[in-house]
Order: sequence, then structure tokens, then C-alpha cells
Amino acid sequence: MKRGTVILLLVVLAVGLAVAAGVSILHNGLSARATPTAMEVMLARNVRGLAIPANARNEHNPITPSEEALKDARAHFANHCASCHGNDGGGDTMYGKGLYPKPPDLRLSQTQKLSDGELFWIIENGVRFTGMPAFGGGHGSQEDSWKLVLFIRHLPQLTMDERVEMERENPKGPGDQEEDKEEQDFLRGEPVQQKAEPAHHH
Amino acid sequence: MCVAGINGLPGPIICADGEHFMKRQIVSLLALVALMASVGFAHGDKKHVLGTLEKINADSVVVKQADGKSVEVKLVSGTMYVTRDGKAAKLSDLAVGDRVVIHATPNPDSSLSADEIKFSVAGAANAPTASKPN
Repeated sequence: MKRGTVILLLVVLAVGLAVAAGVSILHNGLSARATPTAMEVMLARNVRGLAIPANARNEHNPITPSEEALKDARAHFANHCASCHGNDGGGDTMYGKGLYPKPPDLRLSQTQKLSDGELFWIIENGVRFTGMPAFGGGHGSQEDSWKLVLFIRHLPQLTMDERVEMERENPKGPGDQEEDKEEQDFLRGEPVQQKAEPAHHH
Repeated sequence: MCVAGINGLPGPIICADGEHFMKRQIVSLLALVALMASVGFAHGDKKHVLGTLEKINADSVVVKQADGKSVEVKLVSGTMYVTRDGKAAKLSDLAVGDRVVIHATPNPDSSLSADEIKFSVAGAANAPTASKPN
């Protein structure tokens, strides 16, 4: 095949993709409720990988694993991270599902295979064009971030007791607190103003 | 129809109709060539069910609500069981007649999957607890 023909085919392919993408965007909009395509996920992961400096990648966690460090990290994660990632790291939360891209399931290999240094760098510096903010630079100590790295490693083995403990640390607004009080009152035996359908909440 | 500039002076292209909007859309489209929109949608809404346990199955529970209607909620591997005073429990700790508060995720087929089941043992509902309400 002649070189000119190959170039022409590539141009036609690119134009075709552009038209398909354009029509799709015009038709569906750019809603954050959509699920990123496999191509976008692949591109985003590769770009994220390139964004982490090589020296940061090779850093080792200076925190010795201990029950105390994990307890601190659980409380920190429940308070700062669980709104998007969930206490179990699965990302099945109102905010997590509403983000584009969705937060990854931290228990799975795509996260667990990252080095300690990569996880630390992401916590400290965030990830551009995603919902992941930078928690370094004055928002908290690096020791806290390293403890979070320990906790992320522990996530696949998180116990039910630990999840229940973390629920108490989750930030709650006035509406959530009122809802919790109503539920506790109900469990104590008080009557409830039950709606015809299961109540909606977040 | 579009006019470049104002009174003959250089300036932005201003259109009397929707052409300006269309141009912005086209530019945006070209910049977003790599993006392919998807049709999958997430469902972030949760439901909560309050009532008395009417039936306990291996993979679901049936809750009778205050209005008399019964709701079936599926049990999944991630379902958390929590006592009224905030301790982790398990499915076998539940009994028919227990008061329950279930936080559940709606499924595409309109069924519900339990994220968390808080319960108080039947007959012990009015007993004081050591922990304060969250």
C-alpha cells in the first residue's frame, strides 16, 4: 500500500472518530454521571503514571506498620477520604458515583500494584482533572499521608468491626445527624412517621 | 449572519443568531476529539427502610413498615450488620420481630440491596444503651 493511501486512510479514520465523538457528545452531553470509556480509563491511567516523578515512585514508607498507626489512619480516612472512596475503599458513595472519572476501587490491583511512593505522591499532590485533591502542602502532615498508605494496603483485609468503627468517624451534616437520631429513636422503640415508600437519602 | 469587529475595527466575531453558539460547539468538539461519551449512568441515590423484620431468608430480608407494607431487601456480600449500640454483628444475629433500619442501594430492576442493617432485638427496644446516638 502506498504511503499516501495509508495517510489518507488514517485521516479518514481520525475524521470518522471525531465525527462519532462529536455526535455522541452533542447527543449525550458531558454529564459526569456517565461511566468513562475503556479508552479514557486507559489514557488517564497512563497519564497519571507519567505525572509521578521517578524519584517519588521509589520512596519507601517510613512508618512502621502497627495497630496504632492503622487506627489513626482509619479515623483519618473515614473523616477525609470516605466521602468519595467509602470506608471500604470501594467508591460506592454519592460523591464517588457522581465524579468523572469515578474514584478507583482502592482494594483492587490497579491501586494495590502502585508503589508506596506512588500512593503517597497521589495523596500529597492529587490528580489533575479528577476529583482527587492534593492533601499535602499545609493541609496535613506527611506522616498522616504515609499512614494512609499503610491503610490503603490494609483495605483488602478490612474487617466488619473496623468498618463499623469508621462509621462513627464519618463527617455528618445536620441533616444526617437528625436522620441518625430518628433511626436511633426508632430502634429504641419509638414510633416513626413512616412514608409509604422507603425514604430517600444519601 | 456574523460580523467581524465593530465599526470596521478588528474584534471578535459577533453573530446575530445562534451561529456564535454553533462555532463554540464546533471548537469544543474539535478539542474533545479524544473523548467518547458513554451511555452508562451511575445511581448515587440511597434508600432507607425502617420497620420490623417479617422474614429472614439466606439472601434477603422482608421488612414490615409502619404503614403495613412489606419491603424485601437483598443481602449482599458487603452488607454490614450493626447492633443498636454500634457493634458489628452477623446475619445469624437477626431474628423475626427485630426492629431494623436498613440503608440500601436501589438496583436497576427496582429491587434494593442492603448496605447496612442496624437492628435492635425484639423486646429489648426500650432498654437503654451505653452509646450515644450518632
